[in-house]
Amino acid sequence: MAHIMRIIRGEMWYVLFLIPGLGLFTLAVLVPLVTGARYSFTNWDGVSKSLHYIGWGNYVRAFADNDLWGALVNTFKYALIITFLVNVISLMLALLLDSYLKFKKTFRTIFFLPGVISIVLSGFIWKYNYAIGFPSLFSLFGIDISSPLGDPNYALFGLIIVAVWQGVGAPMIIYIAGLQGLPSELVESAKMDGANTRQSFFHITLPLIAPAITINMLLVLTGSLKVFDLVYVTTFGGPAFATEVITTFIFRNSFNNFQAGYGTALSMIFFLILVLVTLIQISIFRRREVEL
Amino acid sequence: MKKSMVLGLCAMLLTILLAACGSKNEPQASTAGSSEPAASSPAESTPAPTESAAEEKPVTISFMHFKSDVTDGVQKIVDQFEAANPNIKVDVQPVKYDDYYTLLKTKMAGGDVVDVFTLNAGAQTKLFVDGGYVEDLTGMPFMENFDPNVLKAQATDGKNYVMPVNATPIAVFYNKKIFTDLGLEIPRTFDAMIAAGKKIKEAGKTPFALGWKDGWTLGMWAGRDLPSNTALVANQPDFFEKIETGAAKFADNPAIKTTIQHAKQLFDLGNKDQLGVDYNGIVDLFAKGDVGMMYMGTWPLADIQKKNPDLYNTGIGYFPYPFSNDESLNKLEFNPDASLAVGRNSKNKEAALKFLAFMASKEGGDSWVKNINSLSYVKGASADIAPAVNELQPYFDKGLVYDSQIYMAKTSIDWGSQFIQNVQKLFFGKATEDEVIKAMDDWVEKNHK
Repeated sequence: MAHIMRIIRGEMWYVLFLIPGLGLFTLAVLVPLVTGARYSFTNWDGVSKSLHYIGWGNYVRAFADNDLWGALVNTFKYALIITFLVNVISLMLALLLDSYLKFKKTFRTIFFLPGVISIVLSGFIWKYNYAIGFPSLFSLFGIDISSPLGDPNYALFGLIIVAVWQGVGAPMIIYIAGLQGLPSELVESAKMDGANTRQSFFHITLPLIAPAITINMLLVLTGSLKVFDLVYVTTFGGPAFATEVITTFIFRNSFNNFQAGYGTALSMIFFLILVLVTLIQISIFRRREVEL
Repeated sequence: MKKSMVLGLCAMLLTILLAACGSKNEPQASTAGSSEPAASSPAESTPAPTESAAEEKPVTISFMHFKSDVTDGVQKIVDQFEAANPNIKVDVQPVKYDDYYTLLKTKMAGGDVVDVFTLNAGAQTKLFVDGGYVEDLTGMPFMENFDPNVLKAQATDGKNYVMPVNATPIAVFYNKKIFTDLGLEIPRTFDAMIAAGKKIKEAGKTPFALGWKDGWTLGMWAGRDLPSNTALVANQPDFFEKIETGAAKFADNPAIKTTIQHAKQLFDLGNKDQLGVDYNGIVDLFAKGDVGMMYMGTWPLADIQKKNPDLYNTGIGYFPYPFSNDESLNKLEFNPDASLAVGRNSKNKEAALKFLAFMASKEGGDSWVKNINSLSYVKGASADIAPAVNELQPYFDKGLVYDSQIYMAKTSIDWGSQFIQNVQKLFFGKATEDEVIKAMDDWVEKNHK
């Protein structure tokens, strides 16, 4: 008993530091999650004060809803392409900016800068770029282009360009940190053993920065699955539902169609999907990591 | 780092955190609160004035409105009110129309109090009245400054919860120079308008400025073309009520096909990048003088005046939108725009009512006309908006005006945003007319059981 008391007294200090974070987490995440879960079993319209419990009705409806599947396809298409592009580009930038390059600090800042702007703002900037900036720029060279956001065939790719432009900064920093943590003796000894650049990259660098790859893949994938602000300010799901992602679909149902109950049910489903994706991803990538 | 410094830093951070929590509501910018509209705190800063001391104590009332495209104009009107009532401060919160009702709904449902806010008479007002958020204004002295017919038209369940403020014709601006150069007449039927558009296109100019990147521009057009054709051409004035209860289907309404075909014809004759250019973009285009026609209310006039005064003064005209091919039906669309409501739970009701009384005075009415370029419902207010709008005078004089929105006044079904997405599929050949109609019926069935 005295032993336990001593542990508690010794560890209390850390618990004290955890309390504010835990408190915020409970208030901002757990409580809304639980109340939201309750609303997902009702037919609440979002405004009125009366609601009825309808059991699993909303969930049954969601699985029969074709529009939901369309939105999910768009979401995953968007997220997977971004995850791939952002990671490849930011890794290449990191390799470049980790080498002995003049002005590498300046370039790091430049590539990181777009990530500092709020997404809403960059949405507006690019909306303007696409609609007015680029067409008038290219018309100087006699090329006639129009905004990809106005064409359902290209709208999603228009958004992906914005997201990649804005998203490469943070993963690049993580990759640079990973690269700087590489023990130089390993690379050197590989060189002495006659490995060329390609071999030493694939057999030494890549396995050793695997933790950075894991975390970047995870952050970018979950982050882009949850995209909302960018789509909301640029296209809001249009044109012709071409950029309708799961979050705007939830928003549309909750607020435009007065189906807040159904909207929360969709949010719950989306929450489960996110958890599932994250678990699968972690288990795959953790296996490939190398301990030093 | 010294311990005292650390403590000091912690204390400072905590203060900032608390200060941020308790801070007053900033005026909502066009996108503010897009992701978390309910998170903002109520904009009340003064305690409720006691009955006797109401005159002396300074009071701040919050005023949320959806006329964000004329934010400056509204601010000027409010400034005028504040100058006349030095004890009352007004915290103006302009919100983009597309986000307005979502934000207002979440605010109200979250228990926030907005003292004065704009509403559209009809379905939206009824929704908030049914929720118990709106003060009854029936019989207030300032309501006598309005025509009884207007009050009757804007009443909800026989009572006046909103005060009419302004109204605007929604019609087609045209460039007089392009029309005279090509020898075009002002079209009185839809087909004539399209024929004129084709001639303008052959001449190498843009026939229609569309700006359908914004949801509301296409939505506004569809929300007038369809009800007009439904009620007046297809003779189904109660169609939208029936849709909501499931008694009718879009497939049973021949007008929906007409509207889809109209949309496609306009799209084909629109500016380049019809769905990529937004409202501001087309006002720019039109002000430059390269565009033949633009379907719009009177809002862009102030902008056009600023960008191209010559065009504004003599170069543009305004004709009623011919939604059908029957000239006698194609009257002038004249819609109420903003109406004002007072929050039922407002703690500064007296100040809020004074605000409304000012807006109902001749001074207030004239101020709306002058600063917003729209017509005022206040009796005796001036009607001189812009040279272009004077062309509509014969229609007002002969009473050739109508309001297509009354055919949708009894329903809250938001078919517009769904319809524009589906019809965009058709523009790009991703759906046929029948598929669009079926998608609409499927949507109604799913969402309005």
